[in-house]
Amino acid sequence: MAGRQIYNPDGFKNIEADGKVTGFEFQFKAQYYRGITLSIVRDIKVNVDGVDYPREAVRLTVNGETFTLEEMRTVIDSDYRWEFGDYATVSVLTEGGLSKGSHHINTLQIIDPSYMPFQIEAVCETDFVIE
Amino acid sequence: MSYDIKRSVSLYSYQDEYYNKQLDLEGCLRETAKTGATGVELLAEQMIRRFPLPIEDEAFREQWFGWLKKYNLEPSCYDAFLENHIYDNRMLSIGEQVNMMKRDIRLASMLGFKNLRTLVSTPMDVIEGSLEYAEKMDVKIGLEVHAPFSLNSGWADGYMEMIHRTGTKYFGFIPDMGIFCKNIPDVLRDKARRMGASEECIKIVDDAYAQRIEKGFVKIKYDLDLGKANMEYRMANGMKEMMEAVEKAGGGPADMMYAGSSFTYSWSDPQDIIDNIDYIFHTHAKFYNVHEDYTETAVAIPEVVEAFKKAGYKGYLSSEYEGGEHLRADMEVDSIEQVRRHQEAMRRAIEG
Repeated sequence: MAGRQIYNPDGFKNIEADGKVTGFEFQFKAQYYRGITLSIVRDIKVNVDGVDYPREAVRLTVNGETFTLEEMRTVIDSDYRWEFGDYATVSVLTEGGLSKGSHHINTLQIIDPSYMPFQIEAVCETDFVIE
Repeated sequence: MSYDIKRSVSLYSYQDEYYNKQLDLEGCLRETAKTGATGVELLAEQMIRRFPLPIEDEAFREQWFGWLKKYNLEPSCYDAFLENHIYDNRMLSIGEQVNMMKRDIRLASMLGFKNLRTLVSTPMDVIEGSLEYAEKMDVKIGLEVHAPFSLNSGWADGYMEMIHRTGTKYFGFIPDMGIFCKNIPDVLRDKARRMGASEECIKIVDDAYAQRIEKGFVKIKYDLDLGKANMEYRMANGMKEMMEAVEKAGGGPADMMYAGSSFTYSWSDPQDIIDNIDYIFHTHAKFYNVHEDYTETAVAIPEVVEAFKKAGYKGYLSSEYEGGEHLRADMEVDSIEQVRRHQEAMRRAIEG
Protein backbone atom coordinates (compact mmCIF):
# COMPACT_ATOMS: atom_id res chain seq x y z
CA MET A 1 0.00 0.00 0.00
CA ALA A 2 2.49 2.60 -1.13
CA GLY A 3 1.26 6.13 -1.75
CA ARG A 4 2.13 8.44 -4.59
CA GLN A 5 5.80 9.19 -5.21
CA ILE A 6 6.50 12.91 -5.07
CA TYR A 7 10.30 12.96 -4.94
CA ASN A 8 12.72 11.22 -7.28
CA PRO A 9 14.50 8.82 -4.88
CA ASP A 10 17.68 9.13 -6.96
CA GLY A 11 17.58 12.91 -7.14
CA PHE A 12 19.14 13.90 -3.81
CA LYS A 13 22.75 15.05 -4.09
CA ASN A 14 25.19 17.77 -3.19
CA ILE A 15 26.14 20.29 -5.87
CA GLU A 16 29.84 20.65 -6.55
CA ALA A 17 31.57 23.46 -8.41
CA ASP A 18 35.33 23.91 -8.75
CA GLY A 19 35.97 21.22 -6.17
CA LYS A 20 33.73 22.92 -3.58
CA VAL A 21 30.27 21.89 -2.39
CA THR A 22 28.00 24.88 -3.04
CA GLY A 23 24.60 23.42 -2.14
CA PHE A 24 22.27 20.47 -2.60
CA GLU A 25 19.56 19.51 -5.03
CA PHE A 26 16.50 17.29 -5.31
CA GLN A 27 13.77 16.52 -7.83
CA PHE A 28 10.03 16.48 -7.27
CA LYS A 29 6.71 16.66 -9.10
CA ALA A 30 4.07 19.38 -8.84
CA GLN A 31 1.13 18.27 -6.66
CA TYR A 32 -1.57 19.34 -9.06
CA TYR A 33 -3.29 17.78 -12.05
CA ARG A 34 -2.11 19.75 -15.08
CA GLY A 35 1.05 21.39 -16.42
CA ILE A 36 1.53 24.99 -15.28
CA THR A 37 3.48 28.09 -16.17
CA LEU A 38 6.21 28.73 -13.58
CA SER A 39 4.56 32.11 -12.96
CA ILE A 40 1.82 30.51 -10.85
CA VAL A 41 4.31 28.72 -8.58
CA ARG A 42 4.14 31.27 -5.79
CA ASP A 43 6.71 29.68 -3.47
CA ILE A 44 8.83 26.64 -2.69
CA LYS A 45 9.78 26.56 0.99
CA VAL A 46 12.55 24.09 1.73
CA ASN A 47 13.23 22.68 5.18
CA VAL A 48 15.80 19.93 5.80
CA ASP A 49 16.25 18.45 9.27
CA GLY A 50 14.37 21.39 10.78
CA VAL A 51 16.43 24.06 9.00
CA ASP A 52 14.60 26.56 6.75
CA TYR A 53 16.49 27.76 3.70
CA PRO A 54 15.96 31.34 2.48
CA ARG A 55 13.85 31.97 -0.63
CA GLU A 56 16.85 33.64 -2.31
CA ALA A 57 18.85 30.38 -2.06
CA VAL A 58 16.31 28.35 -4.05
CA ARG A 59 16.49 27.72 -7.83
CA LEU A 60 14.19 25.66 -10.03
CA THR A 61 15.24 23.96 -13.25
CA VAL A 62 12.88 22.72 -15.98
CA ASN A 63 13.89 21.68 -19.48
CA GLY A 64 17.49 22.74 -18.90
CA GLU A 65 16.80 26.33 -17.81
CA THR A 66 17.30 27.50 -14.23
CA PHE A 67 15.28 30.28 -12.60
CA THR A 68 15.24 31.94 -9.20
CA LEU A 69 11.84 32.06 -7.48
CA GLU A 70 11.79 35.80 -8.15
CA GLU A 71 12.39 35.23 -11.88
CA MET A 72 9.72 32.57 -12.03
CA ARG A 73 7.06 35.19 -11.33
CA THR A 74 7.15 36.18 -15.02
CA VAL A 75 8.00 32.87 -16.73
CA ILE A 76 5.13 31.89 -19.05
CA ASP A 77 7.07 30.37 -21.99
CA SER A 78 5.65 27.09 -23.34
CA ASP A 79 9.08 25.45 -23.31
CA TYR A 80 9.50 26.08 -19.59
CA ARG A 81 6.26 24.84 -18.10
CA TRP A 82 6.31 22.46 -15.16
CA GLU A 83 4.70 19.59 -17.04
CA PHE A 84 2.24 17.34 -15.24
CA GLY A 85 4.04 14.22 -13.99
CA ASP A 86 7.54 15.56 -14.69
CA TYR A 87 10.22 16.17 -12.11
CA ALA A 88 11.61 19.68 -11.72
CA THR A 89 15.03 20.04 -10.12
CA VAL A 90 15.30 22.27 -7.07
CA SER A 91 18.77 23.53 -6.15
CA VAL A 92 19.44 25.09 -2.78
CA LEU A 93 22.60 27.17 -2.55
CA THR A 94 24.26 26.67 0.82
CA GLU A 95 27.96 26.40 1.41
CA GLY A 96 29.02 22.86 2.23
CA GLY A 97 25.66 21.38 1.16
CA LEU A 98 24.34 18.56 3.34
CA SER A 99 26.38 16.11 5.40
CA LYS A 100 26.72 12.50 4.30
CA GLY A 101 24.07 10.24 5.79
CA SER A 102 20.32 10.30 6.45
CA HIS A 103 18.14 13.41 6.29
CA HIS A 104 14.50 14.43 6.37
CA ILE A 105 13.04 16.96 3.93
CA ASN A 106 9.80 18.92 4.26
CA THR A 107 9.05 21.13 1.27
CA LEU A 108 5.97 23.28 0.88
CA GLN A 109 4.85 23.80 -2.72
CA ILE A 110 2.58 26.78 -3.17
CA ILE A 111 0.74 26.85 -6.50
CA ASP A 112 -1.98 29.37 -7.36
CA PRO A 113 -4.36 28.26 -10.12
CA SER A 114 -6.39 31.32 -11.09
CA TYR A 115 -9.80 29.77 -10.59
CA MET A 116 -9.28 28.61 -7.03
CA PRO A 117 -10.33 30.78 -4.11
CA PHE A 118 -7.34 29.43 -2.16
CA GLN A 119 -3.76 28.54 -3.15
CA ILE A 120 -2.73 24.90 -3.15
CA GLU A 121 -0.22 24.34 -0.36
CA ALA A 122 1.21 20.85 -0.69
CA VAL A 123 3.41 19.49 2.08
CA CYS A 124 6.01 17.16 0.54
CA GLU A 125 7.94 15.07 3.05
CA THR A 126 10.39 12.19 2.78
CA ASP A 127 13.58 10.69 4.18
CA PHE A 128 16.68 10.49 2.02
CA VAL A 129 20.38 9.75 2.13
CA ILE A 130 23.31 11.80 0.86
CA GLU A 131 26.12 9.49 -0.19
CA MET B 1 -39.34 13.11 -25.11
CA SER B 2 -36.68 11.38 -27.21
CA TYR B 3 -33.19 11.51 -25.83
CA ASP B 4 -29.72 10.66 -27.12
CA ILE B 5 -27.43 10.17 -24.13
CA LYS B 6 -23.87 9.24 -25.09
CA ARG B 7 -20.95 8.25 -22.88
CA SER B 8 -17.57 9.98 -22.77
CA VAL B 9 -14.51 9.87 -20.51
CA SER B 10 -12.72 12.96 -19.26
CA LEU B 11 -8.99 12.22 -19.29
CA TYR B 12 -8.87 14.03 -15.93
CA SER B 13 -9.96 10.61 -14.64
CA TYR B 14 -6.64 8.98 -15.52
CA GLN B 15 -4.45 11.57 -13.80
CA ASP B 16 -2.82 9.13 -11.37
CA GLU B 17 -1.69 6.74 -14.10
CA TYR B 18 -0.48 9.71 -16.17
CA TYR B 19 1.41 11.14 -13.17
CA ASN B 20 3.11 7.77 -12.65
CA LYS B 21 3.94 7.54 -16.38
CA GLN B 22 1.91 4.34 -16.72
CA LEU B 23 -0.27 6.02 -19.36
CA ASP B 24 0.53 8.68 -21.93
CA LEU B 25 -2.04 10.59 -23.99
CA GLU B 26 -2.50 7.75 -26.48
CA GLY B 27 -2.70 5.26 -23.61
CA CYS B 28 -5.53 7.28 -22.06
CA LEU B 29 -7.42 7.28 -25.39
CA ARG B 30 -6.92 3.52 -25.67
CA GLU B 31 -8.29 2.97 -22.14
CA THR B 32 -11.23 5.28 -22.88
CA ALA B 33 -12.18 3.25 -25.95
CA LYS B 34 -11.93 -0.02 -23.98
CA THR B 35 -14.69 1.15 -21.61
CA GLY B 36 -17.18 1.42 -24.46
CA ALA B 37 -17.28 5.22 -24.32
CA THR B 38 -17.54 6.96 -27.68
CA GLY B 39 -16.48 10.44 -26.55
CA VAL B 40 -13.32 11.91 -25.07
CA GLU B 41 -12.89 15.05 -23.01
CA LEU B 42 -9.43 16.61 -22.93
CA LEU B 43 -7.56 18.92 -20.57
CA ALA B 44 -4.97 20.12 -23.06
CA GLU B 45 -2.81 21.63 -20.33
CA GLN B 46 -2.67 18.28 -18.59
CA MET B 47 -1.52 16.00 -21.40
CA ILE B 48 -0.23 18.15 -24.24
CA ARG B 49 3.33 19.04 -23.43
CA ARG B 50 4.55 22.56 -24.28
CA PHE B 51 0.93 23.76 -24.36
CA PRO B 52 -0.32 25.26 -26.58
CA LEU B 53 2.36 25.00 -29.29
CA PRO B 54 1.75 21.43 -30.54
CA ILE B 55 -1.90 22.23 -31.31
CA GLU B 56 -0.68 24.81 -33.83
CA ASP B 57 1.38 22.10 -35.50
CA GLU B 58 -0.22 20.15 -38.35
CA ALA B 59 1.79 17.00 -37.65
CA PHE B 60 0.49 16.89 -34.08
CA ARG B 61 -3.09 17.39 -35.20
CA GLU B 62 -2.73 14.61 -37.76
CA GLN B 63 -1.60 12.32 -34.96
CA TRP B 64 -4.50 13.42 -32.73
CA PHE B 65 -7.14 12.81 -35.38
CA GLY B 66 -5.37 9.55 -36.30
CA TRP B 67 -5.76 8.34 -32.71
CA LEU B 68 -9.42 9.38 -32.61
CA LYS B 69 -10.05 7.36 -35.76
CA LYS B 70 -8.07 4.37 -34.47
CA TYR B 71 -10.01 4.28 -31.19
CA ASN B 72 -13.36 5.40 -32.66
CA LEU B 73 -13.65 8.42 -30.38
CA GLU B 74 -15.39 11.73 -30.88
CA PRO B 75 -14.06 14.88 -29.17
CA SER B 76 -16.73 15.77 -26.59
CA CYS B 77 -15.38 18.71 -24.60
CA TYR B 78 -12.21 20.78 -24.27
CA ASP B 79 -11.53 21.88 -20.68
CA ALA B 80 -10.01 25.37 -20.63
CA PHE B 81 -8.38 27.09 -17.67
CA LEU B 82 -8.67 30.82 -17.97
CA GLU B 83 -5.40 31.68 -16.21
CA ASN B 84 -6.38 35.26 -15.48
CA HIS B 85 -4.05 35.48 -12.48
CA ILE B 86 -1.02 34.26 -14.43
CA TYR B 87 1.08 37.03 -12.89
CA ASP B 88 1.02 37.44 -9.13
CA ASN B 89 0.93 41.26 -9.17
CA ARG B 90 -2.34 41.75 -11.09
CA MET B 91 -5.39 40.22 -12.70
CA LEU B 92 -5.36 40.27 -16.49
CA SER B 93 -7.56 43.00 -17.94
CA ILE B 94 -10.92 42.02 -19.42
CA GLY B 95 -9.50 42.52 -22.90
CA GLU B 96 -6.56 40.24 -22.17
CA GLN B 97 -8.92 37.62 -20.77
CA VAL B 98 -11.17 37.78 -23.83
CA ASN B 99 -8.11 37.19 -26.00
CA MET B 100 -7.15 34.21 -23.86
CA MET B 101 -10.67 32.81 -24.16
CA LYS B 102 -10.57 33.29 -27.94
CA ARG B 103 -7.23 31.50 -28.06
CA ASP B 104 -8.76 28.56 -26.19
CA ILE B 105 -11.84 28.51 -28.43
CA ARG B 106 -9.55 28.38 -31.45
CA LEU B 107 -7.41 25.58 -29.92
CA ALA B 108 -10.53 23.59 -29.08
CA SER B 109 -11.82 23.97 -32.60
CA MET B 110 -8.50 22.89 -34.12
CA LEU B 111 -8.74 19.61 -32.18
CA GLY B 112 -12.32 19.04 -33.31
CA PHE B 113 -14.16 20.03 -30.11
CA LYS B 114 -17.58 21.71 -30.34
CA ASN B 115 -17.79 22.37 -26.59
CA LEU B 116 -15.44 24.24 -24.29
CA ARG B 117 -15.64 24.09 -20.51
CA THR B 118 -14.93 27.31 -18.64
CA LEU B 119 -14.71 27.74 -14.87
CA VAL B 120 -16.85 29.70 -12.42
CA SER B 121 -14.08 32.27 -12.00
CA THR B 122 -14.63 33.48 -15.59
CA PRO B 123 -16.03 37.04 -15.46
CA MET B 124 -19.37 37.54 -17.22
CA ASP B 125 -17.84 40.25 -19.44
CA VAL B 126 -15.24 37.77 -20.69
CA ILE B 127 -17.93 35.27 -21.66
CA GLU B 128 -20.02 37.96 -23.35
CA GLY B 129 -16.98 39.34 -25.11
CA SER B 130 -16.20 35.91 -26.58
CA LEU B 131 -19.68 34.94 -27.81
CA GLU B 132 -19.33 36.31 -31.32
CA TYR B 133 -16.07 34.46 -31.85
CA ALA B 134 -17.52 31.28 -30.32
CA GLU B 135 -20.35 31.42 -32.84
CA LYS B 136 -17.95 32.04 -35.71
CA MET B 137 -15.84 29.04 -34.67
CA ASP B 138 -18.93 26.96 -33.81
CA VAL B 139 -17.67 26.15 -30.30
CA LYS B 140 -20.10 26.48 -27.39
CA ILE B 141 -18.85 27.86 -24.09
CA GLY B 142 -20.14 25.88 -21.11
CA LEU B 143 -19.85 27.17 -17.57
CA GLU B 144 -19.10 24.34 -15.17
CA VAL B 145 -21.70 24.08 -12.41
CA HIS B 146 -19.63 22.46 -9.68
CA ALA B 147 -20.47 22.15 -5.98
CA PRO B 148 -21.04 24.41 -4.05
CA PHE B 149 -22.68 26.09 -7.06
CA SER B 150 -25.98 24.84 -8.43
CA LEU B 151 -28.56 25.36 -11.12
CA ASN B 152 -31.80 27.17 -10.21
CA SER B 153 -29.88 29.47 -7.86
CA GLY B 154 -29.23 33.18 -7.50
CA TRP B 155 -25.81 32.45 -8.91
CA ALA B 156 -27.19 30.77 -12.05
CA ASP B 157 -29.81 33.52 -12.51
CA GLY B 158 -27.04 36.01 -13.28
CA TYR B 159 -25.96 33.92 -16.26
CA MET B 160 -29.52 33.17 -17.31
CA GLU B 161 -30.18 36.90 -17.53
CA MET B 162 -27.20 37.23 -19.89
CA ILE B 163 -28.42 34.32 -22.05
CA HIS B 164 -31.86 35.91 -22.42
CA ARG B 165 -30.51 39.41 -22.98
CA THR B 166 -28.07 38.37 -25.73
CA GLY B 167 -30.17 35.53 -27.15
CA THR B 168 -26.96 33.53 -27.53
CA LYS B 169 -26.98 29.86 -28.48
CA TYR B 170 -23.27 29.60 -27.72
CA PHE B 171 -23.28 29.72 -23.96
CA GLY B 172 -24.81 27.38 -21.41
CA PHE B 173 -24.10 25.19 -18.39
CA ILE B 174 -22.01 22.06 -17.89
CA PRO B 175 -23.38 20.47 -14.71
CA ASP B 176 -20.91 18.47 -12.65
CA MET B 177 -22.76 15.50 -11.18
CA GLY B 178 -20.99 16.15 -7.86
CA ILE B 179 -23.99 18.45 -7.23
CA PHE B 180 -26.10 15.31 -6.86
CA CYS B 181 -24.37 13.65 -3.89
CA LYS B 182 -26.71 11.72 -1.62
CA ASN B 183 -23.87 10.92 0.79
CA ILE B 184 -20.36 11.98 1.62
CA PRO B 185 -18.14 9.61 -0.42
CA ASP B 186 -16.90 6.55 1.49
CA VAL B 187 -13.34 7.13 0.26
CA LEU B 188 -13.25 10.43 2.16
CA ARG B 189 -14.69 8.81 5.29
CA ASP B 190 -12.09 6.02 5.09
CA LYS B 191 -9.30 8.55 4.68
CA ALA B 192 -10.53 10.41 7.78
CA ARG B 193 -10.47 7.09 9.68
CA ARG B 194 -6.90 6.37 8.54
CA MET B 195 -5.97 9.83 9.83
CA GLY B 196 -7.52 9.04 13.21
CA ALA B 197 -11.04 10.48 13.07
CA SER B 198 -13.45 9.20 15.72
CA GLU B 199 -16.68 7.36 14.89
CA GLU B 200 -18.58 9.84 17.06
CA CYS B 201 -17.40 12.83 15.05
CA ILE B 202 -17.94 11.02 11.75
CA LYS B 203 -21.53 10.38 12.79
CA ILE B 204 -22.09 14.05 13.66
CA VAL B 205 -20.88 15.06 10.19
CA ASP B 206 -22.83 12.33 8.37
CA ASP B 207 -26.01 13.21 10.27
CA ALA B 208 -25.56 16.91 9.50
CA TYR B 209 -25.18 16.06 5.79
CA ALA B 210 -28.36 13.96 5.88
CA GLN B 211 -30.16 16.89 7.52
CA ARG B 212 -28.99 19.32 4.85
CA ILE B 213 -30.44 16.99 2.23
CA GLU B 214 -33.70 16.64 4.10
CA LYS B 215 -34.13 20.38 4.63
CA GLY B 216 -32.74 21.25 1.21
CA PHE B 217 -29.42 23.03 0.71
CA VAL B 218 -29.50 26.82 0.94
CA LYS B 219 -28.15 27.83 -2.47
CA ILE B 220 -25.09 29.94 -3.16
CA LYS B 221 -25.45 33.56 -4.28
CA TYR B 222 -23.81 35.30 -7.20
CA ASP B 223 -20.69 37.15 -6.04
CA LEU B 224 -17.45 37.82 -7.90
CA ASP B 225 -15.70 37.23 -4.58
CA LEU B 226 -15.93 33.43 -4.66
CA GLY B 227 -14.34 32.98 -1.24
CA LYS B 228 -16.95 35.23 0.36
CA ALA B 229 -19.85 33.59 -1.49
CA ASN B 230 -18.60 30.17 -0.43
CA MET B 231 -18.27 31.11 3.25
CA GLU B 232 -21.77 32.61 3.31
CA TYR B 233 -23.08 29.44 1.71
CA ARG B 234 -21.38 27.26 4.31
CA MET B 235 -22.70 29.30 7.20
CA ALA B 236 -26.24 29.32 5.77
CA ASN B 237 -26.06 25.52 5.64
CA GLY B 238 -25.18 25.08 9.29
CA MET B 239 -21.40 24.81 9.18
CA LYS B 240 -20.86 26.72 12.41
CA GLU B 241 -23.22 24.53 14.45
CA MET B 242 -21.73 21.35 13.01
CA MET B 243 -18.15 22.44 13.66
CA GLU B 244 -19.05 23.32 17.25
CA ALA B 245 -20.60 19.89 17.77
CA VAL B 246 -17.47 18.21 16.39
CA GLU B 247 -15.29 20.33 18.64
CA LYS B 248 -17.44 19.50 21.66
CA ALA B 249 -17.03 15.81 20.90
CA GLY B 250 -13.26 16.30 21.14
CA GLY B 251 -12.62 16.46 17.39
CA GLY B 252 -8.97 16.61 16.30
CA PRO B 253 -7.43 17.54 12.93
CA ALA B 254 -8.78 14.41 11.18
CA ASP B 255 -12.31 15.07 12.40
CA MET B 256 -12.04 18.73 11.39
CA MET B 257 -10.78 17.73 7.95
CA TYR B 258 -13.77 15.43 7.51
CA ALA B 259 -16.20 18.06 8.76
CA GLY B 260 -14.77 20.83 6.57
CA SER B 261 -14.58 18.62 3.47
CA SER B 262 -18.22 17.62 3.84
CA PHE B 263 -19.08 21.08 2.51
CA THR B 264 -17.46 20.37 -0.85
CA TYR B 265 -20.36 17.99 -1.60
CA SER B 266 -23.93 18.96 -2.19
CA TRP B 267 -27.32 17.74 -3.24
CA SER B 268 -29.55 19.39 -5.84
CA ASP B 269 -32.91 18.07 -6.96
CA PRO B 270 -32.43 16.25 -10.31
CA GLN B 271 -35.45 18.29 -11.45
CA ASP B 272 -32.87 21.10 -11.92
CA ILE B 273 -31.62 19.21 -15.00
CA ILE B 274 -35.12 19.11 -16.49
CA ASP B 275 -35.74 22.80 -15.77
CA ASN B 276 -32.49 23.87 -17.43
CA ILE B 277 -32.17 21.36 -20.26
CA ASP B 278 -32.26 24.01 -23.01
CA TYR B 279 -28.95 25.34 -21.68
CA ILE B 280 -27.13 22.04 -21.05
CA PHE B 281 -25.06 20.54 -23.87
CA HIS B 282 -22.39 18.62 -21.97
CA THR B 283 -22.14 17.04 -18.52
CA HIS B 284 -19.32 16.05 -16.18
CA ALA B 285 -20.30 12.70 -14.72
CA LYS B 286 -18.32 13.15 -11.53
CA PHE B 287 -17.86 10.07 -9.33
CA TYR B 288 -15.84 9.02 -6.29
CA ASN B 289 -15.95 5.26 -5.87
CA VAL B 290 -17.91 2.74 -7.91
CA HIS B 291 -18.07 -0.61 -6.13
CA GLU B 292 -17.79 -4.06 -7.71
CA ASP B 293 -21.58 -4.24 -7.92
CA TYR B 294 -21.60 -1.01 -9.98
CA THR B 295 -23.11 1.17 -7.25
CA GLU B 296 -21.49 4.56 -6.76
CA THR B 297 -20.80 5.69 -3.20
CA ALA B 298 -22.22 9.22 -3.39
CA VAL B 299 -23.59 10.37 -6.75
CA ALA B 300 -27.18 9.30 -7.42
CA ILE B 301 -26.46 7.98 -10.94
CA PRO B 302 -29.82 6.25 -11.67
CA GLU B 303 -31.91 9.23 -10.51
CA VAL B 304 -29.85 11.79 -12.39
CA VAL B 305 -29.77 9.74 -15.59
CA GLU B 306 -33.53 9.34 -15.28
CA ALA B 307 -33.86 13.14 -15.16
CA PHE B 308 -31.69 13.47 -18.29
CA LYS B 309 -33.94 10.96 -20.08
CA LYS B 310 -37.10 12.75 -19.03
CA ALA B 311 -35.62 16.05 -20.18
CA GLY B 312 -34.75 14.61 -23.61
CA TYR B 313 -31.03 15.31 -23.22
CA LYS B 314 -28.92 14.99 -26.33
CA GLY B 315 -25.29 15.01 -25.32
CA TYR B 316 -22.52 13.30 -23.43
CA LEU B 317 -22.20 12.19 -19.84
CA SER B 318 -18.44 12.32 -19.37
CA SER B 319 -16.90 10.21 -16.57
CA GLU B 320 -14.83 12.32 -14.22
CA TYR B 321 -13.18 10.22 -11.51
CA GLU B 322 -12.19 12.18 -8.43
CA GLY B 323 -11.92 9.53 -5.71
CA GLY B 324 -8.18 9.17 -6.24
CA GLU B 325 -7.44 12.31 -4.27
CA HIS B 326 -8.53 10.53 -1.09
CA LEU B 327 -6.37 7.48 -1.76
CA ARG B 328 -3.14 8.58 -3.36
CA ALA B 329 -1.27 9.62 -0.21
CA ASP B 330 -1.67 6.13 1.22
CA MET B 331 -2.14 3.67 -1.64
CA GLU B 332 -2.14 3.11 -5.34
CA VAL B 333 -5.08 4.44 -7.34
CA ASP B 334 -6.71 2.29 -10.03
CA SER B 335 -8.50 4.85 -12.18
CA ILE B 336 -8.69 2.45 -15.11
CA GLU B 337 -10.87 0.02 -13.15
CA GLN B 338 -12.90 2.86 -11.60
CA VAL B 339 -13.71 4.37 -14.99
CA ARG B 340 -14.58 0.93 -16.40
CA ARG B 341 -17.07 0.35 -13.57
CA HIS B 342 -18.50 3.86 -13.86
CA GLN B 343 -19.08 3.50 -17.60
CA GLU B 344 -20.88 0.23 -16.96
CA ALA B 345 -22.99 1.84 -14.23
CA MET B 346 -23.96 4.64 -16.63
CA ARG B 347 -24.64 2.19 -19.47
CA ARG B 348 -27.06 0.30 -17.24
CA ALA B 349 -28.82 3.48 -16.19
CA ILE B 350 -29.06 4.83 -19.76
CA GLU B 351 -30.15 1.57 -21.38
CA GLY B 352 -32.16 0.28 -18.44
